[in-house]
Formats: sequence, structure tokens, C-alpha cells
Amino acid sequence: MTARPFASILDGLTRQRWVTAALVVSERDGIVVESNLRIGQSGDRMAALAASLYRKARLSAKAAGLGAVSFMQLEAPGGRICAVGGGDLVLVVVAEPAVNVGLVRVELLRAVGELLAIGGDVVG
Amino acid sequence: MQMTVVEAWIEGPLKRFVDDAGAELALLLHPSGQVLAQHGFAREVDVMTACALAAGIQASSAELGRQLDGRPFRGLHHSGRTRQIFLAEAQSPRGAFVFLTVFGPESSLGLVRLYFEELVKGLAAAAPPLEATAGPALAEHFERDLNRNLAVLFGRA
Repeated sequence: MTARPFASILDGLTRQRWVTAALVVSERDGIVVESNLRIGQSGDRMAALAASLYRKARLSAKAAGLGAVSFMQLEAPGGRICAVGGGDLVLVVVAEPAVNVGLVRVELLRAVGELLAIGGDVVG
Repeated sequence: MQMTVVEAWIEGPLKRFVDDAGAELALLLHPSGQVLAQHGFAREVDVMTACALAAGIQASSAELGRQLDGRPFRGLHHSGRTRQIFLAEAQSPRGAFVFLTVFGPESSLGLVRLYFEELVKGLAAAAPPLEATAGPALAEHFERDLNRNLAVLFGRA
């Protein structure tokens, strides 16, 4: 087991243009498991809020009979937050408004399988 | 659920914490166990019990931290099946307080920690200057003060 089991996933995401942060977060606790952040960014704050948002979106989609949430995006004047879930983990990307969301979405959905595989090993 | 406070300046920051973090119960107390504010408790005896336990746990964990790490542990989290407890020291210009909160699945430890930091800042900003030096924690008037605070919180004052 490496000290940074999710490093390859996070590095792949933060290499995307306009992406400013990528985090693996525990959905239940809203705590950072691993992150790639810029200096001055508050990972704890992003993790807590993004995990809460994702969890509420997942529960709302389920309650509305829409099924599982595959991809969540929040668009705001200052930037975007994109998230996908895998098990109890949420993969969160924070980006500038100019980011190519389609590309980020593809990368996030591609990373879910890896997240589940590594997350299972980490938890197990 | 009703929030009640012994000193009015505590109410604003504590209400913001409860609203933002989605806490079910919240308790602010002096390290001696004297209650200062509560949210969500229905009975005096529950507040009294929670205060005594919280003060005892905080004192024990702080001492454990000193023994192990040379400095006190400042926070404690316990996750139950449906509810979780967060207990931590809240520093303010009026000294250290102990803060206890209980939250359910609607909230998370991350949110509680985030808004606890804001609560501490809010208390520091709202605290009026100390008029006199506080007396010893376990003075002869401890029980009288405890009963007075409980009476204020539960509308008997």
C-alpha cells in the first residue's frame, strides 16, 4: 500500500487545463482522503461542502426515482465543481469557469472504476 | 427545537452553527461544567448530565494528549450507528469553552468541523470584554451558579 493510493487518478485530473484542485473525499464524513491542491486552497472546506452536495444530490435523485447519480456539476461565476461517486468515496474536481466540462466528465467517469478498485483495497 | 443561552452574545454564532451544520444538539459550557448555552435539549437533567460528561471527557482527553504528545488533544469525534458526537475546545477572548454537538446523517464530520471553526471565530468576534477576572472553576458557589444557569435556560429565572 502506497502513502498516496489515489495519486495517479488525482494527477491525471489536475493535468487538465483550468482544473485547480482534485480531491478524493469520504462521502459520509466529508473528510479529505487524498488531494491535489494549489497553495492557499482549503481542502477541508471544499471536501466538506462538495461531499455534502453530492450526498444530497444522490439522495434527491434516488427519492425522485431517477436512479443513481453518475455525474454532478455545480456552475458558479467563480468556477465549477464536478463530482462522481464510487462506493463511499467521491471524486471532486474544482475548476475555473473556462474548463472543458465534457473532458473533465469523461476523465471523472473513467476514473470511477479505478477509484472503486483502490478504494476497496484501502477500506478492506 | 429551542435554543437558550445564559449570555446573549453567544446566541448569534451558535444559531449560525446549528443552522449551517445541521446539528441536532449543541451545548456550550465552561470547562468546569457550567452550562452557557444549549440547543435541542428538552430537560434540565439532560443538560446537566451532558455538561458533566462533556467536561469530564474533555479534561481526560486533554490530559491524555499531554501525556502522549506533550500538548492537550483539542477535539474528539465518536461515530455511532445513526448519530455522531463532536466535542472540542473553543478558545475565545473570555477563555476556553467546551463545545459538544450531536449530528445525524443529514450532516457530516467535515461540515461540523468546518462550521465549528466559524463558530469559534464568531464567538471571538461577539464576545464582550471581560469586566472582571473569573473566579476559580470549582468555587463554593458552583452549584448555585449551575442552578441559576439552568433556570435561565429553561425559563425559570
